Amino acid sequence: MFRIVNATGGYGKTVIIRDVSIAVDRAEIVALLGRNGVGKSTLMRFAMALTPAFSGHVEIDGHNAPEAPARRAKAGVGYVPQGRYVFPRMTVTENIAVAAEANGHSGRPAVEAALRDFPMLRPKADDLAGGLSGGQQQVLALARALATRPKILLLDEPTEGVQPSIIDEMAGILKRINRERGVAILVAEQDLDFCLSIATRAYVMEKGSVRLETDRESLRTNKELQQQLLGV
Amino acid sequence: MELDYLATVLLSSLSSASILLIATIGLAVVFGLMGVINLAHGEFLMIGAYAALTATQHGIPFVLAIPVAVLVTMAIGAAVEVLIIRRLYGRLFDTMLATWGLSIAFYQLAVLIFGTVTPGIGMPQFSVKIGNYSLAGYPLLMTGVAALAALFVYVLMTRTVYGMKARAAIQMPEMARAIGIESYRVNTLTFAIGCGLAGFAGAVLLPIVPATPSMGFAFVIKAFLTVVVAGPVTLTGSVLTAIGLGGGASVTASFLTSVAGDAFFFLITAFLLWLYPLGITANWRSKM
Repeated sequence: MFRIVNATGGYGKTVIIRDVSIAVDRAEIVALLGRNGVGKSTLMRFAMALTPAFSGHVEIDGHNAPEAPARRAKAGVGYVPQGRYVFPRMTVTENIAVAAEANGHSGRPAVEAALRDFPMLRPKADDLAGGLSGGQQQVLALARALATRPKILLLDEPTEGVQPSIIDEMAGILKRINRERGVAILVAEQDLDFCLSIATRAYVMEKGSVRLETDRESLRTNKELQQQLLGV
Repeated sequence: MELDYLATVLLSSLSSASILLIATIGLAVVFGLMGVINLAHGEFLMIGAYAALTATQHGIPFVLAIPVAVLVTMAIGAAVEVLIIRRLYGRLFDTMLATWGLSIAFYQLAVLIFGTVTPGIGMPQFSVKIGNYSLAGYPLLMTGVAALAALFVYVLMTRTVYGMKARAAIQMPEMARAIGIESYRVNTLTFAIGCGLAGFAGAVLLPIVPATPSMGFAFVIKAFLTVVVAGPVTLTGSVLTAIGLGGGASVTASFLTSVAGDAFFFLITAFLLWLYPLGITANWRSKM
């Protein structure tokens, strides 16, 4: 359903990811693992068209994805960046509503749905997003991405700086959304436990390339591989 | 001192503050909200004034000449954003240099087309009597115009879908694109609206401030200072600052001299910026 094909990209003249190919099926949850600095975030940005493509392309449902990020978002790619990037001087409600409206859905029901999915945001609905805690901002960034009604959700380090109780809640919500709405998820992570709890398949990256593709069971049981690739 | 004199001073000061606010509000959008230092902002005011003047000279009633001026300045603003500003986002000094050059070009164009002296259009004749004193009605009307203009921008930016997109695209352009907002197009429109508000100011103030090629300079310095003092909650801040600084300066001027009024304006500005280097609204938790 969603494919990144032979992606090579980076910044300026520096190549950061080299010839990376990844596929995510409809309603599948796939993890993207690897240590710091192996190019996971760059690959996510490549998928969102925020990093220039030196070569390679992205496909959605067998068609080439549009080149502009805004149009790619409208084609069904939802993005939660590392560091969240909520709009700080807009309220929680506005952060969600603007994402829905930008994709042609009306804002008010989208906000209602998001507050049902993420009850912890309800008491904060009229607060400025910039004043939320890190975990709350992460949940808001996720709610904002879902308000665009994506076919695939790209999550970049969603557990970074988030307290464990919220991480568990997030895992539960992601699984439910994946099951109920058939949203596919590609999640870049260093938190192996979080990935094992939601993903069924994983790609492991090293030095800007995909080192191997594996399923949950072999990753869970192969301690040597975990040690070697992730340093856990 | 008689009460009617005091009332007259207060009312005329309020109208000076309103005139300052009208001239500032476009800058509150372009500089306060978008963070673009457009040194040609005063020239958009001048273009608005000349557009309205030219329209009235062609027989269009003054009330209809104002929207003409707004459309003309919005169109020029959109072109300037696409051709110059967009290429220089985040490059402060380059933007200043480019827009400074633009202001010189606009000024010289106005001199070439209209000459340095132009006829005013004459103030709409009606006045308000308070005791023994009589005040021209049109400047008083500006308090209402200023309030409406501020309300318009507030509602536009906080209650409409465009306003949400505009603020998102300004606060985080890349992230806004990643959720489907066409940031470039939205920013062009926002800049054009800011320029249109300057054109509105030039047009609506035409009966008070006659169109001259250099009229922009008179407004732009105080307008910039007002927005800087206002800080991040740019609209509410600008309203408060315009009333405080503009009104205060005008009261001072009517009791002492106009030089004392300007001295008041700049001294209080310096004092406020010393107290609040990031503007008086730096710690406010509100949107606009």
